[in-house]
Amino acid sequence: MSGGAMARLDDDKRSEPSHPGALAIKSLNKRYRMDGRILQVLQDIDLNILPGEFVSIVGRSGCGKSTLLRLIVGLEADYDGDILLDDQPIRSTSLDRGIVFQDHSLLPWMTVEQNIGFALLTLDLPESEKKRRVAEHIDLVNLSGFAKAYPRELSGGMAQRAAIARALVNEPKILLLDEPLGALDALTRIHLQRELQRIRTQNRSTMIMVTHDVEEAVYLGDRVVVMDANPGRIGRVVTVPLPHPRDRGSRAFQHIRDEILADLTGAHDTD
Amino acid sequence: MLTLSRFRGFVLPIALIMLWSALSHRDAAHSFIFVPLENVVASAREMFLNGELSRNWTASLIRTSSGFAIGSGIGIAVGSIMAISRFADRLINPLYQAVRQVPLMGFIPLISLWFGNGESSKLFIVSLAAFYPMVLNTYEGLINTEKKYLSVASVFKLGRWRTLRYVTLPSALPSIFTGLMQATAFAWLSSVGSEFFFNPGPGLGNMMLNAQAAFRMDAVLLSVIAIGVTGFGMNFLVQRASRVFLRWRSTR
Ligand SMILES: Nc1ncnc2c1ncn2[C@@H]1O[C@H](COP(=O)(O)OP(=O)(O)OP(=O)(O)O)[C@@H](O)[C@H]1O
Ligand SMILES: [Mg+2]
Repeated sequence: MSGGAMARLDDDKRSEPSHPGALAIKSLNKRYRMDGRILQVLQDIDLNILPGEFVSIVGRSGCGKSTLLRLIVGLEADYDGDILLDDQPIRSTSLDRGIVFQDHSLLPWMTVEQNIGFALLTLDLPESEKKRRVAEHIDLVNLSGFAKAYPRELSGGMAQRAAIARALVNEPKILLLDEPLGALDALTRIHLQRELQRIRTQNRSTMIMVTHDVEEAVYLGDRVVVMDANPGRIGRVVTVPLPHPRDRGSRAFQHIRDEILADLTGAHDTD
Repeated sequence: MLTLSRFRGFVLPIALIMLWSALSHRDAAHSFIFVPLENVVASAREMFLNGELSRNWTASLIRTSSGFAIGSGIGIAVGSIMAISRFADRLINPLYQAVRQVPLMGFIPLISLWFGNGESSKLFIVSLAAFYPMVLNTYEGLINTEKKYLSVASVFKLGRWRTLRYVTLPSALPSIFTGLMQATAFAWLSSVGSEFFFNPGPGLGNMMLNAQAAFRMDAVLLSVIAIGVTGFGMNFLVQRASRVFLRWRSTR
């Protein structure tokens, strides 16, 4: 028994100075130690992400996608290699980097409204402005009417949308999305894909999204990173040179999508 | 169906009362051990009218609530300090674990030495009874905050105190309420129980002892009923409060 669980929270509260948001990942390695054995989760990851770029990450379950996002957001400091944001190493979390966790991680004791407002707690804004922003983002993810609902009263997709609103509300420069649209119906999914695309253009924010849906990856991504598993590494990076808004039915679109699909299934075969 | 099942809890008590009643009317010997319920009602009436019931009941209740307030207040504080500071944890935890092994009654000689044989010793016992479960449950609740919620706090740069207020504390609330529930029960039991060990003074335990000394089984039974019903009521109140404070929790 120890009081250690709470000791790791005193990260510095200053956010990093304003920056264009270029992310450079250089020979990144991440290992986990599990009952004596060492598990290499990420191996030699090299990736440069430009300010304002949208990068999709696909790859089979367990290849280290969530781990990569946790490292970029600054939740884990124990890794080898460099993760540089505008040439500065990432040491802890920052309000400039937001994340939508894979399991939404809404706080169960807070209503939807409070959960979204939670992102604004440390911001120096008038209360009325915070209220306005929260309401605006509740509308954005179509949760009006559920502002006062607790997470247990939400469906999986609704909880995901609330988590997206929470990540967007303080307009981070870099937004990390871990399968944010996984539990949504097709219609809501397409609506939110468009919204993400719009927000990204409007805020000029950098977005990195993990998804299992290759079509979604191609629809949104400037580039699609295909990861291989065991150990997790970058297999291939596919550039998507199509202008927005993209036509999912176009030949060029389908060509890229099929190429990536073939890559992914190919990775399955070698295993 | 729903209304029927709501009253299921009354079936057993009513059956028991009927059995009791049947036994009490068999013969004189039986009616001494199993006091006829009408006698209990009569003595309840009498002791209510002459103020004895309310005097003793109030005394027990006041002791319980003050002991509960003192013990659980200090318990929450100590549990929190242990959870927040590793140093305090190392310092206090071993002592707490060791002292906890001694049954409350084992402290009676010491306590009577320190506080005498009167009301303050009883109050101390009650406070101690409420203190134990509060320390443990507060500590466990605060320590076991799910990592993912702490991650969220870290992502939004909440800092130590805001994290405590908005994340760690609410996540510990269910555990703290479990502690409060146990503390209420232990405080009430020890409040009545302590009257058996120290000098006589007002209280339901004492009322029972007096009744026993006077061979008044109706008054003994009345005391038992008063103790049981009051304990039940207190438990009910805490449960209600916890339902209000923990309404965010998924039930069932
Ligand atoms: N805290 C941890 N301790 C030990 N091993 C871990 C930890 N977190 C992740 N892992 C391991 O790292 C590997 C990658 O996990 P990760 O969650 O990053 O995969 P993923 O690509 O996001 O998978 P999915 O698509 O299923 O979400 C897994 O083998 C997992 O068991
Ligand atoms: Mg994942």
